[in-house]
Amino acid sequence: MKHISRRKFVKQSSFATAGTLLLPRFLNAFDQHSIQKNKNRKLVVVQFSGGNDGLNAIVPYTNDVYYKSRPSIAVPPNKVLKANDTLGFNPKLKVLQNLYDSGDVCIINNIGYPDPDRSHFRSMDIWHTASASNEFLSTGWLGRYLDGNCEDCQNPHHAIEVNDSLSLALKGAQMNGFAMKNPAQLKNTTRSKIVQAVAQHHHDHEHEENVAYLYKTLANTIASADYIYEKSKIYTSKVAYPKGKLGKELKQVAELIISEADTQIYYVTLNGFDTHNNQVNTQERLLQGYSEAMSAFVKDLKENDKWDDTLVMTFSEFGRRVAENGSRGTDHGAGNNLYLMGGKLKKQGFYNEGPDLINLEKGDVKYTVDFRNVYSTILKDWLKTEDQVVLRKTFKSLGFI
Amino acid sequence: MTEEQKIQHLYWRAGFGLSPTAFQKKRKQPLNKIIKDLFKDAKKIQPVQRPDYNIPSWDVLKVMSKEDRLKKTREIQKLTPEINLNWVRQMTSDDYSCLQEKMTLFWHGHFACESKRFDYAASQINSIRQDALGNFRDLVLAISKDTSMILYLNNQQNKKNKPNENYARELMELFTIGRGNYTEQDIKEAARAFTGWFSDRGTGEFKFTERQHDAGSKTFMGKTGNWNGDDIIDLILDRKETATFLATKVYRYFVNEKVKDENVALLANILYQSNYNIGTMMQTLFESDWFYAKENVGVKIKSPIELLVGMGKVLNLQFGNAKSVLFPQKYLGQILFKPPNVAGWPGGKTWIDNSTLMLRMNFAAVVFQRVELALELKDEPEEPKSRQLKNLDISGDIVALTKAFSKVKLANLGLELEAYLLQTPFRTQDSFIETLAKEADTSEGQIKAYVLGLMSLPEYQVC
Repeated sequence: MKHISRRKFVKQSSFATAGTLLLPRFLNAFDQHSIQKNKNRKLVVVQFSGGNDGLNAIVPYTNDVYYKSRPSIAVPPNKVLKANDTLGFNPKLKVLQNLYDSGDVCIINNIGYPDPDRSHFRSMDIWHTASASNEFLSTGWLGRYLDGNCEDCQNPHHAIEVNDSLSLALKGAQMNGFAMKNPAQLKNTTRSKIVQAVAQHHHDHEHEENVAYLYKTLANTIASADYIYEKSKIYTSKVAYPKGKLGKELKQVAELIISEADTQIYYVTLNGFDTHNNQVNTQERLLQGYSEAMSAFVKDLKENDKWDDTLVMTFSEFGRRVAENGSRGTDHGAGNNLYLMGGKLKKQGFYNEGPDLINLEKGDVKYTVDFRNVYSTILKDWLKTEDQVVLRKTFKSLGFI
Repeated sequence: MTEEQKIQHLYWRAGFGLSPTAFQKKRKQPLNKIIKDLFKDAKKIQPVQRPDYNIPSWDVLKVMSKEDRLKKTREIQKLTPEINLNWVRQMTSDDYSCLQEKMTLFWHGHFACESKRFDYAASQINSIRQDALGNFRDLVLAISKDTSMILYLNNQQNKKNKPNENYARELMELFTIGRGNYTEQDIKEAARAFTGWFSDRGTGEFKFTERQHDAGSKTFMGKTGNWNGDDIIDLILDRKETATFLATKVYRYFVNEKVKDENVALLANILYQSNYNIGTMMQTLFESDWFYAKENVGVKIKSPIELLVGMGKVLNLQFGNAKSVLFPQKYLGQILFKPPNVAGWPGGKTWIDNSTLMLRMNFAAVVFQRVELALELKDEPEEPKSRQLKNLDISGDIVALTKAFSKVKLANLGLELEAYLLQTPFRTQDSFIETLAKEADTSEGQIKAYVLGLMSLPEYQVC
């Protein structure tokens, strides 16, 4: 059995310099860390869970195969928000049209990876861990970034997932992202006297691995809770965000970014894209919610001069089959599209051509761009880290930022 | 490892820990008798009760206006948490077989499925219960015909010439044989075999619809025939990999997340040779020496249900309404009948992150507040700020606890309570918990202080 002594993990943790679990000194430590390069560059990841149907989001509205394959669920040409001669946006995705017009979005078509997996969990794990399809990793790509490939990642809230629990993407070998649904709730929970007493209670004896993990998580949480709470009070957004989960979460992210919190990565999730059945209503409701929330977010950051420091990546674990199924829905597919948004994009509009619907792989869109090239571009060109250390392989930059 | 420690370990894994009364009764019994009794008690199937609500028949429903019908459906859906409540009450009570409850909970996570209606939820959990220690073949067949599952994984849309692969894929990937042991083509063929396996929308029961069933020839895992769903299940169970997949999952849940191949192989062999008798495998597991090895004790992070029910047993918690079980589940991240996805709750360290850990550590204080066990100490637990937690209709007492520890000398109270409540040492002596406890004037006050302190510890989160 592997034992980690409490003393040892306290030493190993970022708090070694502080030497105590008292809060104010941590805060000082964080403030010192914040004076670092690239600290202003933010990455916001939006995950569409369930497999968003890319073909009904970015619509190839002049393609006969598209309409023949989807007699009951295709977006009719007259409803498509046309972008160029072949591609347009789902009518509910107004945010993409607006950002397309202002040069603030880059859309990558046919994104995927070799030997695509059509299981939600496996494919999501592949996206989270940036593994090959036959390779199993237990750490996420952003977790490995935190693990030592960024200079000022020592604070536990360097990457925040706005959620009750933490995704694999943000789990590293030594470092983890920080799950936080709401700063006030988080702060409140660390204030109880017993929690404070447990945290300050030192034991010299060895802990079983899981217990050691719990103590470490406790120390990190207390250290970050007050910091985030204080930051969250600095700025209250004046922009009207839509009701609903994503609107609320993006508002929280915008407030922390505008308050210049010492957090670089934010991660939010929108669920419900597994549309096997009566797809159109479900997907359009989700896309509309995304569009409205994202529009408010962009407006908020632009009005506060933060948009140029922000890069937003929206992805899903796979696209869906080209042909609709028997229940006005679509089954799990492969190639999809991915959106990058920000004020400093070097490539704007469509990064590449739309999908080839004649040459399919098992009925699915074939990938032409590996998603790990997107990660490598973000790591190298935006976060300024050694991408091949995080990705364990070299992937060419796509040069979009 | 003392016999008493072994008994506690057994009860944490085969159940939810011991109530103070059961602890007193069982602590001196021989381990092999306790194991036999656990399996004997589990034989009597005790289904979860449904709330008193008359669901109109389909004949009545179909002549209703669309709005009235929707209203009825909403009423039925709203009652699903009542099944959750009744189940948690059963798990908490010593009047029910803890092994039967634990096995049912395990399979509920294995055949993860969201149930939207109380009647579907009840019938699913009770049919799982029926076979929870029985034959896996019966269990997986019952699940394949279960209304909640048919709706959840879209088998209702799996029709002849228009197959929907969802159920066939998850059946193999998650429920039986596991990844790497089948091809995409196998999934397509299996989906055809399950065409026409529908739920009757009137009765909510399984209905085989022959005209939607593809009776044609299928080649599945290298064998060709006019397979139907039963045949597919048989063909999957014929493969030894299925037994290994299930034994691995059982081992990770009941023994240790870190798998020991030789122990899993032993369990897999027994499962396979017994023609998938789950009870036989489980009894072997609980009778094995390695199950009680130090490396397997106190190393599992409790699931939110294990935590909640375990506290319930110690403090005789009575859950007053559905909200009183639903809110803790929601806050701690495990809502029965609402798994995150078809892969179920991943468990282990994934239960824990900064936010759920705080909630767990504060939860004992919340419960103490709710059951008016508040201490007259200088260091009182914080009032829960959340209105929902504040208004939880939970009551409880420390009557049984006080009785069980009444003969213990004050000087030993901390040690004895630690031994009862924790599966991994904390060293209560000279700790802040002892300081807190010593501020109390009465032995009852001391017991409360120790229990609250111990239940708030990271050490209490493991079993």
